[in-house]
Amino acid sequence: MKKNSILEVPLLHPGWKKLAYVFFPLPVFLVIGIAFWNPKTDPNETVQIIYGFWAMAFMILNLSREEVEDEMIRQFRQQAFQTGFFWLIWGLAALMLINYLRFDRITSELFTAYLVLFLLNGYIYAAFQYQKYIANKEEN
Amino acid sequence: MKNTIKVERAKKDMTQQDLAEKVQVSRQTINSIEAGKYVPSTVLALKIARVFEVGLESIFELEVGD
Repeated sequence: MKKNSILEVPLLHPGWKKLAYVFFPLPVFLVIGIAFWNPKTDPNETVQIIYGFWAMAFMILNLSREEVEDEMIRQFRQQAFQTGFFWLIWGLAALMLINYLRFDRITSELFTAYLVLFLLNGYIYAAFQYQKYIANKEEN
Repeated sequence: MKNTIKVERAKKDMTQQDLAEKVQVSRQTINSIEAGKYVPSTVLALKIARVFEVGLESIFELEVGD
């Protein structure tokens, strides 16, 4: 069956993964730099910078092509997005419950778009890598 | 679903990599299909059957619970 072009997701060249690996340590140095530059910076802001960079890093990894992009990898990727979303919903529910038990309120400043994007992309990446690990385990 | 890809490969003296190249997938995909961890699409199953010059049902067989 031919896929409708509007549903087609173009994947990034595998070379983009290098940029993603730079994005993991980069915010740590950035935050240290900001702390020296402006010691009065809100610690919550620095955490959001880290979440933002890590979210972008995982997003690039999730949207980059594999060396051989065959039907099994495509199925793993689809499953990873579905599983990642499922884990995100339950993870956020758990965080809300913890927040409620500790502070008597469901909402918190903790729940930012950066955190949600970081968790979602992190979960998708983990689910994808896990499937690849299972497929490669016990090689014949 | 069980399959006899490993047997068919042995008959043709073919490695997983050889088969993978013929049907344009990765060796890991062939390995996963042989191990029963991944069920191929109809298109891929037909391609594999064509490589071995046998019918689809002589390679793939449904198991109880499928």
